[in-house]
Amino acid sequence: MISKKTTAIFLLLFLFTIFFSFSSSAQNTQIKGFADVLTSYQNGKASFGFDEQDLFITSELTDRISFLGESVFKYTPSSPTEFSVSIERLIIKYNFQGNNNLILGKIHSPINYWNNTYHHGRVFYPTIERPLLFAAEIIPLHTTGISLQGHDFGKLRFGYDVVVGNGLGSAAVADNDKRKSVTVAAHIKPIDELYLGVSWYNDAVSKGATVMDKVIGWKVNQNLFTGSIAYFGKKFELLTEGTLGIDKTDTTGSKNTLAAYLYTGYKVTEKLIPYIRLDDLQYQNGEIYFTKDNTTSVIAGLRYQINYLAVVKLEFQHQHAELEGNTNSITAQFAVGF
Amino acid sequence: MMEMKRTRRYKQVIFTKFFFVAILFFCAFTATSQTSSLTVISNQKGAPSTLNFSQLKSIFMGEQQRWRSGTKITIALMKTNTPAGKNTSETIYGMSADELNKFWLALVFQGKTSAPNFFNSASELENFVAQNPGAIGIVDQVAANDDIKTVQVEGKKL
Repeated sequence: MISKKTTAIFLLLFLFTIFFSFSSSAQNTQIKGFADVLTSYQNGKASFGFDEQDLFITSELTDRISFLGESVFKYTPSSPTEFSVSIERLIIKYNFQGNNNLILGKIHSPINYWNNTYHHGRVFYPTIERPLLFAAEIIPLHTTGISLQGHDFGKLRFGYDVVVGNGLGSAAVADNDKRKSVTVAAHIKPIDELYLGVSWYNDAVSKGATVMDKVIGWKVNQNLFTGSIAYFGKKFELLTEGTLGIDKTDTTGSKNTLAAYLYTGYKVTEKLIPYIRLDDLQYQNGEIYFTKDNTTSVIAGLRYQINYLAVVKLEFQHQHAELEGNTNSITAQFAVGF
Repeated sequence: MMEMKRTRRYKQVIFTKFFFVAILFFCAFTATSQTSSLTVISNQKGAPSTLNFSQLKSIFMGEQQRWRSGTKITIALMKTNTPAGKNTSETIYGMSADELNKFWLALVFQGKTSAPNFFNSASELENFVAQNPGAIGIVDQVAANDDIKTVQVEGKKL
């Protein structure tokens, strides 16, 4: 009969084994994060604040399986603590052949360059905040589902994404209807500095679904067509993207929305980059899925790259919106990676 | 006559001085080239013995995930604050040390590839490459090790 002492020793050894095996497997796990603080001046008032605090974890589980998780802590007025945690990405990737991967989980929809490249890492953003088409929720930022992804094929370094997901109106853990969203994206990188991409997104939003904090009263068939050009050279930077959204309902027919932005910067030195960004959102009369608010914006800014983990930006923005009229603001941001 | 001799003498002195300056420049350049030379090393399993420069760059940019044999490519680099690391940033990537760090952070954040393994010394990097099938790295000095091989780039050392 095994004594209690022997059992305790075995248990202790077992725990030690588990601990050390975890420690050794954790060697390929990395935790990184991003945060930023802001100060802004608008309507005669100065304010201090901060954006999200972003943590991301990457882990190599086997030769072919890897994990990436991204969690964001952010200000949420409706929360009792005024803050909430959201899972922005939860990706299990299986590299099945060469540069081809099968991806399961919640991803940033590979619809445009900005969404697919910068995510929540504001230290990477060329401007303080994302283009207006993000705030207007023209493109679905996340998709939970399954995708095939490949990159850097041939001389043009062709890449692709094919995603099938729950779609708009779904919760993070389940779909709200039978219809799935489909995203097909392709890009090439003819030279190191240049990226050219196109994408197509299709979904049907069910009647009664909650999207963008409002209940959709009609079934909406949505198609989004996006084109992207990104050039980040030694001196000159250019990033321009445009999305044509076609929303179709039985009552209103097809309505088009055009959302675009153009960013350009010039490296005076390796660390100092003055830049401008122009945004334009145009909705067709009768649009009922998006909130119709034709908006134009001009941003002039200066970015100082202290090092790859710290950047300071100063911006002036003039915005004209159909609903809010003209606004002018000055904002400074200190963004870091850690 | 005296004037011609003086001119000839003056020309000889100038030529001698120029010759010595040229020799000095040559020696300085040679010394710099020697200290800045890089060598690509790999584990015996995985990398081919010869690569051209565009293949090498593609591998070190994270654009190729596996060798033809199917072995996963693992990149080993000297830290960018070491002379060899700075030299690698400029020679292979055409980037400053800071740009290289940002490049890799962005790529890993996008979930496109695994982060390279960075080392403080050539011997640490060499040991890592020796112990990991599919590993490839760049160093400025190589000690004899049966578990690694030197990869020729464009038919010669880098």
